[in-house]
Amino acid sequence: MYEFSPIGPRVAQVRQTYRDSIPSVCVERFLLVSEFYRANPTMPPMIKRAKNLLNLCENVTILVNDGEVVVGEVGSRYRASALFPEYGIGWLFQEIRSGHFLDRALDPYAMTQADMDAIMPWEDFWAVNNLSAYTDAALPPEFADIVGNGVVQFGIEHTGAGPVGHFCAGYDTLIRKGFGAIKTEALERIDAMKGRLYGEDALKEEFYRAVAICADATITLARRYAAECRRQAAECTDLARRAELTEMAEGLERVPEHPARTFLEAVQSMYIYQIAMSLDGNLHGLTFGRVDQYLNDFCQADLAAGRITRERAQEILDLFCLKIAEMNKIWPSFATEAAGGYTSGQLITLSGVKKNGTDATNDVTYMLIECARRLLLHDPPMSLRIHEGTPDLLWDAAVECTKACGGVPTFESDKVIIPNMLQRGLSLESARNYCLIGCVEPGGCGDDWSANGGPGQESFWRIPSAVLLAINDGVNPMPHFDGSPQTRTGLATGYLYEMETFDQVLDAVKRQMEYFVDWQVAFTNIRESVARHYMPLPIASATFDGCLESGKDVMWGGARYNGTGTAAVGIGTATDSLAAIKHMVYDTKLVSAREFYDALMAGWVGYEPLRQRVMKETPHYGNDLEYPDEIAEWISKVYNDKVRSCVGIRGNHWSPGFYPVATHVAWGKLTWATPDGRKTGDPLSDGISPIQCMDVSGPAATLKSALRVDHERCGNGTLLNMKFHPKALEGGGKAKLIDLMRTYFDLGGMELQFNIADADMLRDAQIHPEQHRDLVVRIAGFSAYFVELHKQLQNDVIRRTELQL
Amino acid sequence: MDRGPSTVGTVYDIQGFSVQDGPGIRTTVFLKGCPLRCPWCHSPESQRFHIQLSWQRSKCVGTQECGLCLDRCPKSAISAAGSEPVDPAGNDAAGGGAVATIDVDWSRCDDCGVCAEVCPAGALSMWGKRQTVQEVLERVVKDRPFFERSGGGVTISGGEPLSQADFTLALLAALKQAGLHTALDTTGYAPWAVVEETLPYTDLYLLDLKAVDPDAHRAATGVDNAPIFESARALAARGARMQVRIPLIPRFNDGRETVQEMGRFVSSLGPAVTVVQLLPYHAMGVSKWDRIRPQGPVFEAQTIPEDRVAGLKAVLEQWGLSVQVH
Ligand code: SF4
Ligand code: SF4
Repeated sequence: MYEFSPIGPRVAQVRQTYRDSIPSVCVERFLLVSEFYRANPTMPPMIKRAKNLLNLCENVTILVNDGEVVVGEVGSRYRASALFPEYGIGWLFQEIRSGHFLDRALDPYAMTQADMDAIMPWEDFWAVNNLSAYTDAALPPEFADIVGNGVVQFGIEHTGAGPVGHFCAGYDTLIRKGFGAIKTEALERIDAMKGRLYGEDALKEEFYRAVAICADATITLARRYAAECRRQAAECTDLARRAELTEMAEGLERVPEHPARTFLEAVQSMYIYQIAMSLDGNLHGLTFGRVDQYLNDFCQADLAAGRITRERAQEILDLFCLKIAEMNKIWPSFATEAAGGYTSGQLITLSGVKKNGTDATNDVTYMLIECARRLLLHDPPMSLRIHEGTPDLLWDAAVECTKACGGVPTFESDKVIIPNMLQRGLSLESARNYCLIGCVEPGGCGDDWSANGGPGQESFWRIPSAVLLAINDGVNPMPHFDGSPQTRTGLATGYLYEMETFDQVLDAVKRQMEYFVDWQVAFTNIRESVARHYMPLPIASATFDGCLESGKDVMWGGARYNGTGTAAVGIGTATDSLAAIKHMVYDTKLVSAREFYDALMAGWVGYEPLRQRVMKETPHYGNDLEYPDEIAEWISKVYNDKVRSCVGIRGNHWSPGFYPVATHVAWGKLTWATPDGRKTGDPLSDGISPIQCMDVSGPAATLKSALRVDHERCGNGTLLNMKFHPKALEGGGKAKLIDLMRTYFDLGGMELQFNIADADMLRDAQIHPEQHRDLVVRIAGFSAYFVELHKQLQNDVIRRTELQL
Repeated sequence: MDRGPSTVGTVYDIQGFSVQDGPGIRTTVFLKGCPLRCPWCHSPESQRFHIQLSWQRSKCVGTQECGLCLDRCPKSAISAAGSEPVDPAGNDAAGGGAVATIDVDWSRCDDCGVCAEVCPAGALSMWGKRQTVQEVLERVVKDRPFFERSGGGVTISGGEPLSQADFTLALLAALKQAGLHTALDTTGYAPWAVVEETLPYTDLYLLDLKAVDPDAHRAATGVDNAPIFESARALAARGARMQVRIPLIPRFNDGRETVQEMGRFVSSLGPAVTVVQLLPYHAMGVSKWDRIRPQGPVFEAQTIPEDRVAGLKAVLEQWGLSVQVH
């Protein structure tokens, strides 16, 4: 049984400050970037991005808050969000102009009138100069014909809501090598080609210059923090704090320019780099990777030399995690319904095997679990890599953690993911060194531009809509927002009542799926071709394996490995839909195809008895039944085969995945009724989980069904969310839960995550949010404070089948 | 009597996973029918031996949209009811609004099942299903990989499985032949000759004991406890492994004296008993009592406070027993 240590008063105080603060919008970045862009209209994008970052690092407000030992801030106030006008923030201008910005129901942000007044005059300037607008302009004319299909999702004009991101930079390289050496290498490479630029050398030279500028930018930022620490130290009357501020200043004078010498310096180096990347781009899922592996050497060396105690090391990590939790980025109001709770996806991966294949668990692994369990933080999210040699004590600590802090960590299986990475072309060492990106997406650690989220928001894909189009001649039955009916956006595959056999239905579904995968790939490749031109990422590229060698930015394919990820939503709903059609219309003929079709097109309205019969009679996915499960297997095969055959802009193959972040609820709202009996607007199933409450045969059966999706081919991750009643973990229940997971992983399962929650308690939290402020739950791709979520997401957690062990 | 893969029994549920039903990850097969009538029973649908009608108003779509069951009942036990609000918390088809549903006249109903067949929503449904040993076996072996990792297996429970002796014996034999760990959850209320036959196929007995005092036992459960105690002693004598399970029921067996007596008896069984599980009564939110034919007043009691349970656990522990509370 793992014993957790108590939190000290100082950490408790910082945590309280965090929990009591309301995020605000800071316009400092907005204004600095606006002036810079206006003053430099002709600068080439690569250099412009680097100099823009340098300008930011030289001018942003430096904040060292009370009680902090790890510093860095993206805004001019504690817990403030920066703004990214160059990516397109038409949505913010609209929200402000509508007068509703300050009463956002979810993820509310404070913003002063003066700040609003300061940015509004820039609306015209940014209306045409932004990534979102450039992308819109690059879309081919066919785009108009395909919008509204309900299968693939593209950006809404001028939103820029889908940021670039989802990668793990080379933190380890940075900590051990330092930006000074990186800069030197870049300059040497420039020197080597001076006056003789052949082939693509001009592009390389420009890239190296950008890297050198980014190195300067980050070092400058650190130095300015060091100066602030020194200033505060001089004024500080508390001697202990004065000494600490001095130590912090010395560290910040050293890193990230030079290799870190101590544990604190290593943590600080990583975090100041994170801040630089966060100031640079509108990035999401800026993943930390294998933090326990980067840091343990430093921790052990400090402990051995008596420089720190275990308690101090824990305190540093606690405060580091609180810094990550504090960092946030404002999302458009419409996006908060799907991913509310101020989530930022700065995922940390724990344990797993080392590059040599042995168990990688170390002291820092446990310390980071302590952070999540004791501080009850949903951010940073954490993923625990499981393998045959995972220590029992770590299993125990992790289950205790997820019990207290829903879904933290998620459990990921090396047994499936390492072969998966090998299939993607990673070397054995790199494959063993994988981490999880964003939510549940496997990717290389510091050497893989995996673009797991795609280069933007169109990484998601709705399978149930493909089923609807397949049986409705390519027309989405969901009307437009204004109520007018849709025209055909898919292939003309005919109507259900024209199909004589179920195989014809499957054939139609397959054709629609393949058709839309191709469109998604097409649009995503277009989007990326625009993004890499305007928004290269020299700051991230600087630490990536492969970029300096190749002289290419990560966005241009410079990383050693490349990928593009996509994720399908609603395989449970789609499976049950096809099972319902097969069972009701073709096998038992309980209803004619025509009546079934009419009922479905009526959204089941007026057909309640039939709808009920469909739900009652159809064998459901999630119960280890061959009838639906072979359909799930078929869907995953069609989808996986197609996606894996597609080629991305960096020459890489695409990777399929099954996870929704939390879009299964928001998109459910935009999805017409489905053949499984789901009503228009109800949530879709999430990840590879069964439809909420249709898994009635116990968790083993649910897992067996989920295994029918070929996990080893899902390079972009799978997600299975389970909810257990707290009583299920009492007595021997915990050991049984662990055996349940072990068996799932033995059998080829990739990922599991849990909520250990009692539905009554969750309902009470809806009524008395103030009494449940620290209740963390897992939605799908992320954890959040329950009371900060949209009501529909809350209900989604409540409705999940409560499993007993 | 023919005992084999085609032996038929009345099963009312098969559940993957049950934390209280023995070691490791287990799948439990629940058989229908029990000779005891414990008023606190948490699964009243398991008491009767025959397949029974269940009526769940919250699932009814309403007679206006549906009404398929009206005029179907050969006994005229179903009639249209007025409109009333359905359970807003339940998984109701009508979305929590007021709908006109039906009433079941239990005095007329003979559980023929005609109405359940037509009801699309499962508001009218049948508890229990006739299944062969082979069918049950095919279902439970699917969970085998989970048993192997965890040292689990299959538990046969009820109702009282020994009341369907042929089926239970055939199933136990089949499970053993399939190489699975078996547990038998029983009240022990069966002739020793029947219990004895289970010995070669049963790895663990989960023996439910209610009260040592014969009068109290008879008054509460309707049956004599002498055969139960005889089974317990004989199983111990034959070296069977046992876990004793005691439901702790307010005003019935939660007195210190009563628990003392129980401790004395259980400890007399010696090392055969590996563990005693105390199952304190919980006032549960949802009960299935209102879904089946009413049978006397519904049992009501308060949840026993935790400190009291802890005290009673200590009493049992004084007898040298290893005690778990669930
Ligand atoms: S089960 Fe009862 S109510 Fe239903 S049809 Fe038969 S007798 Fe009538
Ligand atoms: S058939 Fe079922 S759903 Fe229809 S009215 Fe009768 S009880 Fe209600």
